[in-house]
Amino acid sequence: MPNLTIHPTGEVVYLEPGETVLGGLYKAGYAYTIGCRRGGCAICKVDVLDGEFSYDHPVADSVISEQERTDGTCLSCRAVPDSDVTIEMRDSCLRLVNPFLRQINEKARLRAEALASTTTKE
Amino acid sequence: MGILRMGYAHVRVTDLAEAKHHYANTLGLYETHSEDGKVFFKGWDEWDHHSLVLEEGGVGVVKYGFKVEKPEDIDEIEKKGQQFGLTMERMSAGENAEVSDGIRFTTPSDHVFEVYHSQTLIGTEVGTHNPEAFPRHLVGVGVPGLDHSLILAEDVRTMENMLTEVFGFYATERVQTDLNDDDAHYIATWMTSNNQIHQIAVLEGPQSKLHHVAFKLQDWAEVGHAGDLFTMDDVPIDIGPTRHGITRGQTIYFFDPAGNRNEVFAGGYLAYPDRPTVKWTPDQIAKGIFYHAREINERFTTVST
Repeated sequence: MPNLTIHPTGEVVYLEPGETVLGGLYKAGYAYTIGCRRGGCAICKVDVLDGEFSYDHPVADSVISEQERTDGTCLSCRAVPDSDVTIEMRDSCLRLVNPFLRQINEKARLRAEALASTTTKE
Repeated sequence: MGILRMGYAHVRVTDLAEAKHHYANTLGLYETHSEDGKVFFKGWDEWDHHSLVLEEGGVGVVKYGFKVEKPEDIDEIEKKGQQFGLTMERMSAGENAEVSDGIRFTTPSDHVFEVYHSQTLIGTEVGTHNPEAFPRHLVGVGVPGLDHSLILAEDVRTMENMLTEVFGFYATERVQTDLNDDDAHYIATWMTSNNQIHQIAVLEGPQSKLHHVAFKLQDWAEVGHAGDLFTMDDVPIDIGPTRHGITRGQTIYFFDPAGNRNEVFAGGYLAYPDRPTVKWTPDQIAKGIFYHAREINERFTTVST
């Protein structure tokens, strides 16, 4: 359902409902610097430039500070988009490591968009 | 006699229910007690009441408990701690469930250490009377007990001095910038009080942080079996199965559901205080940490809780 756009390249990744930002990116064939994948180490933070997300688990204050809860900081392993979102990587570079998964994701996105437009017409 | 072993690690978790599932059903620890947001566990081959405490709220380590043989050992360690310049605080029996009175202090690395002389004796799961080799119905990995922990500190040498002078520990292995100890900067140290290859290790890094808490296994086969179970239970693997050059132990690093790093650790040679300390130079540290890959993954020095 939500589309995740990567700034500044403009690449779009399709996420299943309930999928985390990290989970969605890896499932679409991308890789970047990640750590525990369970919300504890804080290394997979990215910035959300546009759109809304929420955390699917409690996140420790030592991992996300009070300020970071409102400034667009996104702990990507626990963040689930509530709408389409645009993210920007921090120090870590996003690499496409599996083009086949990227193709599958692209088709899933086009199918979801086609389905959405049919539903709207009806 | 002094310190017998690291008796317990007390760790914070963000979600107690998920953490309980991991430590009880994946690792196979036995729950022995629970009270206001805390759960206590022991391994099947441990006899004292608990070796792991989980506390809901946050991540990282709350404190460690070290067990001494006799109550008089507490006075001795208190005196040595004061001589070292530490503030030693007395704790009463019951401040920690089922743990005796003792002392508590904050280390130069900003970790909290407690020293106690007894815990309520529960007994191992196989007992002491004509015991079987292992309990028949172990759950998951079925770890027999807690092994050691690695903590981070800005000043490793001061931590090694403290553990030597106050606890009577000695270094089995060390990473240092020069083979001459006097000229060297200490990057990491592995320390023990007995034949166990390490009870606590200290790596240069941010104060008060936890790198990992390790549980014992017997051999390669058990480490491999644990890895299979981690896949079945969707436990994130950090690295392994592989070997550490340092200690020669066989290992998997993995993460609990709050992101605290765990390890299953097997093997390691017998330590003796008169065995010369093994020294690793920084150019060979990758082989020392991960003996097969000979590369430090990007998480080893950057990911902690």
